[in-house]
Amino acid sequence: MHVLVTTDGSRQSLQAARTFLGFADPTKVTDVSVVAVVRPLSSVAFADEISGASPASSGPERTFRAEAERAVATVAAEFDGWGPKVHQRIRSGSPANEIIKAARQLGAGLVVIAAGGRGLSESVLMGSTAQRVQHYAPCPVLVVRPQPRARKKAPKR
Amino acid sequence: MTSSQTADRSSPDAEVELTRSITGRLLFFYVLGDVLGSGIYVLIGSVAGEVGGAFWIAFAVGVSVAAITGLAYAELATKYPKAAGAALYLYKAFGNRPLAFLVTVSFLSASFAAAGSLSVGFARYFLELWDVPPALLVALLFLLVLTIINFIGITESVVVNMVMTIVELSGLVIVVGIGIWFVAQGDADFGRITEFETTTTPIFAIIAGVALAFFAMTGFENVANVAEETVDPQRSFPRALIGGMVAAGVIYVLVAITASLVVGAKDLAASDAALLEVVKADIIPVPLGFMTTLFAIIACIAITNTTLVAVVTQPRILYGMAREDVVPGVFAKLHPGRRSPWVGLIFSALVVAALLVIGTLVVEAGGGIDLIARLATVTVVLLLFIYFLVILAALKLSGQDVTDQTFRAPRPLLYVGLIGNIVLLGYVVVDDPTSVVWCAGLLAIGGVLFLLEHFFGRRNRPPTAAPGDPTTTTTTGAEGA
Repeated sequence: MHVLVTTDGSRQSLQAARTFLGFADPTKVTDVSVVAVVRPLSSVAFADEISGASPASSGPERTFRAEAERAVATVAAEFDGWGPKVHQRIRSGSPANEIIKAARQLGAGLVVIAAGGRGLSESVLMGSTAQRVQHYAPCPVLVVRPQPRARKKAPKR
Repeated sequence: MTSSQTADRSSPDAEVELTRSITGRLLFFYVLGDVLGSGIYVLIGSVAGEVGGAFWIAFAVGVSVAAITGLAYAELATKYPKAAGAALYLYKAFGNRPLAFLVTVSFLSASFAAAGSLSVGFARYFLELWDVPPALLVALLFLLVLTIINFIGITESVVVNMVMTIVELSGLVIVVGIGIWFVAQGDADFGRITEFETTTTPIFAIIAGVALAFFAMTGFENVANVAEETVDPQRSFPRALIGGMVAAGVIYVLVAITASLVVGAKDLAASDAALLEVVKADIIPVPLGFMTTLFAIIACIAITNTTLVAVVTQPRILYGMAREDVVPGVFAKLHPGRRSPWVGLIFSALVVAALLVIGTLVVEAGGGIDLIARLATVTVVLLLFIYFLVILAALKLSGQDVTDQTFRAPRPLLYVGLIGNIVLLGYVVVDDPTSVVWCAGLLAIGGVLFLLEHFFGRRNRPPTAAPGDPTTTTTTGAEGA
């Protein structure tokens, strides 16, 4: 089975990858593709919040692509030594569309995705990426919800 | 493992797969849409007022100077296809961070002023459809809606972008069509398009017109937004950028000649929604009410398209500066679900709203010129300054980072562009010193943000680090909303 692990550069997406790793059986998975989608027409095309690299040092040469590459590499590093072959893929366009397209092209057996925020805004404003992916993906989708705030369950580091 | 699609076949063993989405055609429409909406609907009346019936010459000259600047952009974008645009080119050419910061802040300020001018323009066409609310209210609501759209992220659709551009184009095709009909009927008085109605000599009248008409060509510099995502940038950038600008230029000149022939400069200058006058002249055998409504809607869509790009660009610039630690880190904060820089969005909307309110008050107090022209002039001053520096950077970087695929702009043209930009800049500043005050006010916002980060932003950095040094900041962390 080819598994698509998506990242938007957020901590939640990293958490989603860890959740998947927490129960998945590496002998049943042949390939893992870590996918990020750069959104060229939005204000922030991609923001990496997980690699810990400082964007300040690159100054005006900072690119959204580089942020996407770092985020994908960071998530891919979670799968080091796990077994299956890990691919890193960066696409460009509308996130939901590109993730669904990638799942089709790769014949993915599972898509792993983090669901947006905790707040009211997520249920009021329609069209979140995770929602669209679960509606239209050609395969099962693992949507990792953010942990409720009250319960104290520190993510393993 | 059932990788059956072509996308992977090309590089079956590659560890990292990178695909880009902006093709040459999409880039062309992006440029065309961004340029077309900005000026002609909003400013044609003001330009006509400056020059008289021959105002199409002003558009022709403005288009040429802008297109030459576009050549410099095309060359630099093929060398450095990165989102930072002008700031990056100047950094590459002169290695000077403060200069890059100044250019970034100028660009941001220009974008604020442009959004303000366009919002007022939108309000004027909107009032042709429904003449009830006050113009200022319409402009502010327009801004609010665009900000919300940007927050939600509908702007991401390249298809929507393309459809809007085609609608924009259709409005101008209607105008030119009316012009052709008019000429074919034999009513045209071609003497009109060579008339100057001005108190100064024609040459100054034209320069004055060019300075305003230049606003109509601005927007192409936003092309850097999608530079990173362009497929085969070496080939597609020069074609799409120059092609888009030349197409826009030809349309502009045709539209200007039509408006001059059909309506006349005086009536254009007196109108709030000038291009609508061409339609209202009731020349083609289509019911007037229908045409007026249709055209006003098209104009509103055109202006919306261009304003959206400005509204998307502003928080992006703020985000970039926050990531570089030169403005407070809060501008790099993203909404966890939407991945939108909501602080930057709200801040930008407030700045433009303030521009509109202050501008309206100043005009009502009897001080200064029409608000659209005022904000357009401010945009033009700031952009002329940036364009001048960009051409300079292109010349300075000649021979550097050149591959056999790099586009090379003809050098004599670049010198012409350099002179053109500086002459226009000089003229605008001398002719309208007040605009410099507005520019200074807008630039001061960037200065204040820098000082805020400089003096209070320290808690984001390790105590020994200087601004701009690598940080261990967590201000961008995606905590809950």
